[in-house]
Amino acid sequence: MNEILFRLNRLQKISFAVGILFLILCGFGVAIAPQKFFISWLWSFIFWIGLTLGCFNAAMIHYLTGGRWGSSTRRFFEAGFMTLPLMGIFFIPVLFGLHFLYPWARPNEVSGDKILQQKIIYENFPAFLARAIFFFGIWILIATRLRKWSLQQDLMSDVSPTIKMRTLSGPGIVIVPLTITFAFVDWIMSIEPAWFSTIFGVILLAGEILIAVAFVILLLAWFRPFPPLAEIANEKQFHDLGNLLLAFVMFWTYVAFSQFLIIYSGNQPHEIGWYLRRICGNWKFLAGAVVAFHFFVPFCVLLFCAAKKNIRRLAIIAALLFVAHILEIFWTIAPTFYRDGISIHWTDFAAWLGIGGMWLGVFAGNLKCHPLLARNDPQIENSIAKTANA
Amino acid sequence: MNVNENIYGLMAEFPGGKEILAAAKSAHEHGYRKMEAFTPFPIEGLSENLGQKKSFVSSIVLICGIGGGLGGYFMEWYANVISYPQNIGGRPLNVWPMFIPITFELTILSGALAAIIGMLALNKLPEPHHPVFNVPEFERASTDKFFLCIEADDQKFDLNATRKFLETLKPEKILEVEK
Repeated sequence: MNEILFRLNRLQKISFAVGILFLILCGFGVAIAPQKFFISWLWSFIFWIGLTLGCFNAAMIHYLTGGRWGSSTRRFFEAGFMTLPLMGIFFIPVLFGLHFLYPWARPNEVSGDKILQQKIIYENFPAFLARAIFFFGIWILIATRLRKWSLQQDLMSDVSPTIKMRTLSGPGIVIVPLTITFAFVDWIMSIEPAWFSTIFGVILLAGEILIAVAFVILLLAWFRPFPPLAEIANEKQFHDLGNLLLAFVMFWTYVAFSQFLIIYSGNQPHEIGWYLRRICGNWKFLAGAVVAFHFFVPFCVLLFCAAKKNIRRLAIIAALLFVAHILEIFWTIAPTFYRDGISIHWTDFAAWLGIGGMWLGVFAGNLKCHPLLARNDPQIENSIAKTANA
Repeated sequence: MNVNENIYGLMAEFPGGKEILAAAKSAHEHGYRKMEAFTPFPIEGLSENLGQKKSFVSSIVLICGIGGGLGGYFMEWYANVISYPQNIGGRPLNVWPMFIPITFELTILSGALAAIIGMLALNKLPEPHHPVFNVPEFERASTDKFFLCIEADDQKFDLNATRKFLETLKPEKILEVEK
């Protein structure tokens, strides 16, 4: 435990230092280039809340279905989704930049656009704010309950907390993705008011669970040599996680391609424009990179059993997917604002590192103050016994 | 070599999964290769302990899957580009996004069929009868007993020596399997 605790302490210190430094830089960003700053902040926020919600959904999937893959990863997922209050705070800056980001928040644009006038009943500041409060409220409510019961289970052999977790995760796995879809309609889709896609939330959610699994694989690979993880994080554990990674690579590809195929077939002006903006100029290279590194390369490598059992190789693929997801989120949001081609501003780095540093700091804090392996969970005990026997 | 023509092999009966895992390991260490274990439910690590190599099924599935995908794409390309070209909304004739669903479905279909047929072929199934069913006790392999059967074809097989070896594994019973 000592070596892991030492690493977590160091990670927490470095993360907070990086986070605070870049948040200060973000402050200059607001003053110097507000529009660029808010674009950077929006996509960085979407990336990190995505990781949070990915951890949230992966944890609920494990509470419901069980399985060996959760025994070593559960506390990581829990520490991930317990950053939700922090992400709620990081949502506040978006509220001050609405008129930079959303056409519906610019009155002169609304008055000249029929679509915006009709949508204003739904997309307006009070409704946007109320919905965001509602989404964060319901997520934090479910998340804190689950975390509380998970920690309670550590202290008692009676399995009632586990049963409670499972009972809440059932409705939770319906409510959370549904609210995520509505949240992303507000936060992302409404940057282009004429465009809509009903599968959009599912695409993002699939990518989020994917990077949550990738993130946990990276951490496990880092902490693997040390107790208490050493006894459980073996080849089989990584094989299971590799399979899960492959499943979500395929799921993401399936839904992302479905959206593209439907829009391509319809070829309607208000729909196809979204893709045209995302392949115009040198954006098409970024689109190609997303296809290559979010799907093609990881998919082909993960097909092979040997790649999933080799911890080093699996960690490289996980890192690749993590980076590819950053590109995907950037590619989803930024082309709306930069119509001529890829435009990267220093605020992009400042916002991503600022939010990310604080996120990782809180994450490490959540992780280090409780045992890294959940105790007394009947399924986890069972899987530890199995791993030890094999 | 003491080999009886009418004997298929020797079978040892064990009470649990741990015992059969240890027995399989020990038998493999003693040089037995042609053997098979029978358990009421899958036991992790058993095939490794028996020294079974990775099966070819995954390679068969990969090759047939790729073949099916290429076939599906070819079919659509041939129909739309060579055989009956039509201008549909100004799209190119070789309109790859529209071809992906069929390509994908045929990849899955060919892969799945190859998995089933390949598995059956490599297991030499269907096989209506197998010598192990000649042992009445073997019925319990599907309920609560675990069996390890060393086949008479094995190079090291010797009726007396193998029986003695199996005794060292402390099975509940040792049974002769007739052909």
